[in-house]
Amino acid sequence: MNTSTGARPALPRDPGTSTSLVVCDAAGRTFGHGSVAVVAVHGASCVVSSSSRVALVGPSGSGKSTLLQLMAGLDTPTSGSVSWPAWDSGPFQDPSRAGMVFQGLSLIPSITAVENVAFPLLLQGFSHKQAIALAIESLDLLAITGLADKLPEELSGGQAQRVAVARVVTSRPRLIFADEPTGQLDRVSGDRVIDVLLEAADHLGAGLVLSTHDAAVAGRLDQTWRMHDGELVVAA
Amino acid sequence: MIRIWLAGLLRKSPARLLAAAGGISIAVALVAGLGSFLVTSQATMTQRAAAQVAVDWQVQVAAHRDPNAVLNAVRSAPGTVAALPVGFADSPGLHATAGGTTQDTGAAKVLGLPPGYATTFPLSIRLLTGSQNGVLVAQQTAANLHVTPGDQVRVSRAGLAPYWVKVAGVVELPQADSLFQRVGAPSQSQPVAPPDNVILLPAAQFQAEYAGLAKTRPDLVTTQIHARRDHAGLPTDPSSAFTAETGAANNLAVRTSGAAVVGNNLGASLDAARGDASYARILFLFLGAPGALLAAGLTAAITQAGADRRRKEQSLLRARGSTPTQLIRLVLVEAAVVGVLGGLIGLGVAAVIGAASSWPWDLAAGLAGLAIAAAVVAVPAIRDLRAVAAGESAKVTQRTQPAWMRFGLDVVLIALGLGVFWASGQNKYTLVLAPEGVPTISVNYWAFLAPALAWLGCGLLCWRIADTVLVRGRRVVAWASRPVLGPLSQTVASMLMRQRRLVSRSAVLVALALAFAVSTATFNATYRQQAEVDAQLTNGADVTVVESPGAHATPADAAQLASVSGVKAVEPLQHRFAYVGNDLQDLYGINPSTVTRATTLQDAYFQGATAAQSLAQLKSRPDAILVSAETVNDFQLNPGDLVKLRLQDAQTHTYRSVSFHFVGIVNEFPTAPKDSFLVANADYIAQQTGSDAVGTFLVSTGGSNVSAVADRIRNVVGTTGSVGTINDARGLVGSSLTSVDLAKLTRLELAFALLIAAASGGLVIGLGIAERRRAIAVATGLGATRRQVRRFGSAEPAYVLLVGTVCGLATGWGLSYLLVKVLTGVFDPPPTGLTAPWGYLAALIACTVAAVGFASVVVIERARRRARSLLRAI
Ligand SMILES: Nc1ncnc2c1ncn2[C@@H]1O[C@H](COP(=O)(O)OP(=O)(O)OP(=O)(O)O)[C@@H](O)[C@H]1O
Ligand SMILES: [Mg+2]
Repeated sequence: MNTSTGARPALPRDPGTSTSLVVCDAAGRTFGHGSVAVVAVHGASCVVSSSSRVALVGPSGSGKSTLLQLMAGLDTPTSGSVSWPAWDSGPFQDPSRAGMVFQGLSLIPSITAVENVAFPLLLQGFSHKQAIALAIESLDLLAITGLADKLPEELSGGQAQRVAVARVVTSRPRLIFADEPTGQLDRVSGDRVIDVLLEAADHLGAGLVLSTHDAAVAGRLDQTWRMHDGELVVAA
Repeated sequence: MIRIWLAGLLRKSPARLLAAAGGISIAVALVAGLGSFLVTSQATMTQRAAAQVAVDWQVQVAAHRDPNAVLNAVRSAPGTVAALPVGFADSPGLHATAGGTTQDTGAAKVLGLPPGYATTFPLSIRLLTGSQNGVLVAQQTAANLHVTPGDQVRVSRAGLAPYWVKVAGVVELPQADSLFQRVGAPSQSQPVAPPDNVILLPAAQFQAEYAGLAKTRPDLVTTQIHARRDHAGLPTDPSSAFTAETGAANNLAVRTSGAAVVGNNLGASLDAARGDASYARILFLFLGAPGALLAAGLTAAITQAGADRRRKEQSLLRARGSTPTQLIRLVLVEAAVVGVLGGLIGLGVAAVIGAASSWPWDLAAGLAGLAIAAAVVAVPAIRDLRAVAAGESAKVTQRTQPAWMRFGLDVVLIALGLGVFWASGQNKYTLVLAPEGVPTISVNYWAFLAPALAWLGCGLLCWRIADTVLVRGRRVVAWASRPVLGPLSQTVASMLMRQRRLVSRSAVLVALALAFAVSTATFNATYRQQAEVDAQLTNGADVTVVESPGAHATPADAAQLASVSGVKAVEPLQHRFAYVGNDLQDLYGINPSTVTRATTLQDAYFQGATAAQSLAQLKSRPDAILVSAETVNDFQLNPGDLVKLRLQDAQTHTYRSVSFHFVGIVNEFPTAPKDSFLVANADYIAQQTGSDAVGTFLVSTGGSNVSAVADRIRNVVGTTGSVGTINDARGLVGSSLTSVDLAKLTRLELAFALLIAAASGGLVIGLGIAERRRAIAVATGLGATRRQVRRFGSAEPAYVLLVGTVCGLATGWGLSYLLVKVLTGVFDPPPTGLTAPWGYLAALIACTVAAVGFASVVVIERARRRARSLLRAI
């Protein structure tokens, strides 16, 4: 990582000074109207800072994915508010603010792992050469350089999720969200994905929130937030 | 279980099911529509072929047999509407004194016509001047004898004293060839030309003059029974009608135990129509088969798009314990539902557009629909079932080349196609072999193979091109897309490269659909252009005024016609007869500087030079002459050679020698006959013969208001000339296929072609292949802007459209060339080049681009909006 970082700005590397990155204030999200309305998230209040390592747990359908998307700015609340004090607009507009590892396989099928990792940088306007160089760096960081030229269909589930994490890392976001990153993986592969996520968060000095059904996974993070029927219980 | 499955099918993916049925319905409607066109056009051909025959049967009564017995036999033959006896006698010569000069002719034919002959056989005699009641002389005879109504003609008789008759009228015998045929003789021993001298007597007069001679010289006096047959009762298709008429004629010969020999003019005309009917069938095949095939391809693309979901369902059902047999049964039921639904919709559409009328074709179309459903719905599903059972899973990217590409099947197909084309070129592309008088007709379907192979070969070649560009030309693709895609261009190029199988297949479908539309439209446009040329060639111009014999029109009379409102230009055309050696040919005198003001001269009319060059040659010297290729051969002429013709002098009425110089070859000329004729400068002919008499005025109306202008001209001309229009000619042009009105077929074809092209473009893009949807959703999830997503998602549609359009247009154009060549027999005269239907082509491309554009925007926007749920569902 200390090799060529190009002209990229230096990162705030001090996890000790924990700035608030996301603040949810009684944020709610309801899908549909009237009798068919589904309240996915109900008045959730919470704060995520750069030092947060949060596991979001709860039964299926309890609103975990919805809350993550609200916090990432991928979705807007129907009640209450979500704010990002460090920025004047939502982080979603800028991959260097927040990155999301999606629930399932989220790689573009017809391009190689390294091209997938480079993809967000290309969207940001980096040249192809620069983007590939940075992508290789990220793969290096997560020790999966060997997967660089493989196509998604040639990767196992765990490998694919680690590539997805690498893709988040390349943009150097200040917030990492991961929606059930180990949901479809066995214990060993799941553990390695969590390793990689924690490593990335530490390396970037970013806040990490991941959702999971797995108590063992939750146990590896500092905090566990519980969701039930859209209600969020934030434990210290 | 089947019912539950069906209900589920209809609930879960009604759109896809309907789309598949829709694809099949296109094929069904196309087949049913074209089939009904075929049936009606064949009926039209039969009726036209029958209607243009003046005398259906000319039954020769054998020597020493009783004409009355034969007359009764003909009258009682089933299908005979009317029958009349006609006397034929040979005369050694005619003689007349008119206008102070005396003329003698060679051998003549004398006919005895019973009362009512002209009304029973209205097409056989056309009165030019005088009265129909009394003795009539043929136009050429009147010219030879210089007689007009009221003059006396002396008719010689072999071994008897001559007799005098008074001419009542001058007539034209439009079908003299068949009237004077040697009944029962094979075609090669028929007379080359009808007799020059013909005189028609009323039956009573004929009887009085020839009753005695008939007894002593039965070789000189014979009787024919002329019969009109029931046309409305003929079988609809020309082949069956021909068989029926031939059978009836043979039956008559047998029943009269040889007393009657039937000259079956109706049969001969139907015989020619049989050939045309086969052409119509070929056209039907040529135009319909690729359309149906494409519709099948389209249906395959639709079901292909649902293959993933189907595979998942199949594994689920397997996991729940369904047996393979049960699953196959379900697949078959699905195929049947799609097939029947598509069939019904297709037949409904055909009925709505008024094209379904014959149940055999409807049945055939329905069966075709079921076959397509079986081929594209059932077969792949069953194959998948095996794969699911074997635990295989489908791969997105395919690294190996398809086998056909490695073996160069595309090149082989194109080479084979060109080989067949070349081989059929050796036979002058004769598609239909109809030996005269032979009841079977053979169609050379091999020639047909050339465009078919070329079409398929070009489709595969398009695949290879699309594939090769993506693999070898990845850099070029990246470079070319850079202005739009920016830094993403290289990644997009790799994406396309890895998805090349899907991308190329889509491009091929678009290319084949466009090629089909382009070649159909170009063929139709060329065909119509040629039909127009044919009509103009036959009539001479938009409107023509043919001067009656005896009316001495001069070029100055053109001014009078030019003043008629709606007339754009008038051009006088001299028409004379000239002896070339012993051969009497039509000679046309024109003004080469102005003739094209009133008529169009195609390059194809001339040989070895363009129309403009030929006219320039004619202008280059006053005594220049264009002659037919046959004459050039007969007399071994070289350009610049002296040609001596004998032309009739206006003062002396005798033929005298006039020198011309041969400058070029002419094969066709407005109003000229199909056989040999001559074209020279009108001024020179007028100077040499002492007469500037005009035979025909060619009148241009600029193509519009032809009928109205013709009516006005008729008022001006009165009885001095007969007025013909290009409209009359259009309906009349021989028995060639050009006469069949293709307008309906054309409209049907072009509409279908457009529909198929737009649908394939829209569908291959719009069917939202899972891969593309996922890529768009991921890009959205990674924070791509709307603009970025749009550009990123448009790369594949743009590439498909570009390659598909370029290959499609090129293939379509090449195919049109092959089609026009192979179907040369349809054209008369053959076209000089292809006629491009620019308007249609523009509409075609616009519709395809619009369909692809619309489909990709819909897919992109949907994937973008549903990115979150898509990303969750993956
Ligand atoms: N786009 C949507 N439209 C309608 N309802 C939705 C939508 N997204 C989520 N929901 C509903 O909101 C509720 C919460 O869903 P969410 O996906 O957030 O739960 P989850 O805790 O992530 O579940 P899982 O553990 O299964 O991923 C569910 O009842 C779901 O059906
Ligand atoms: Mg979830």
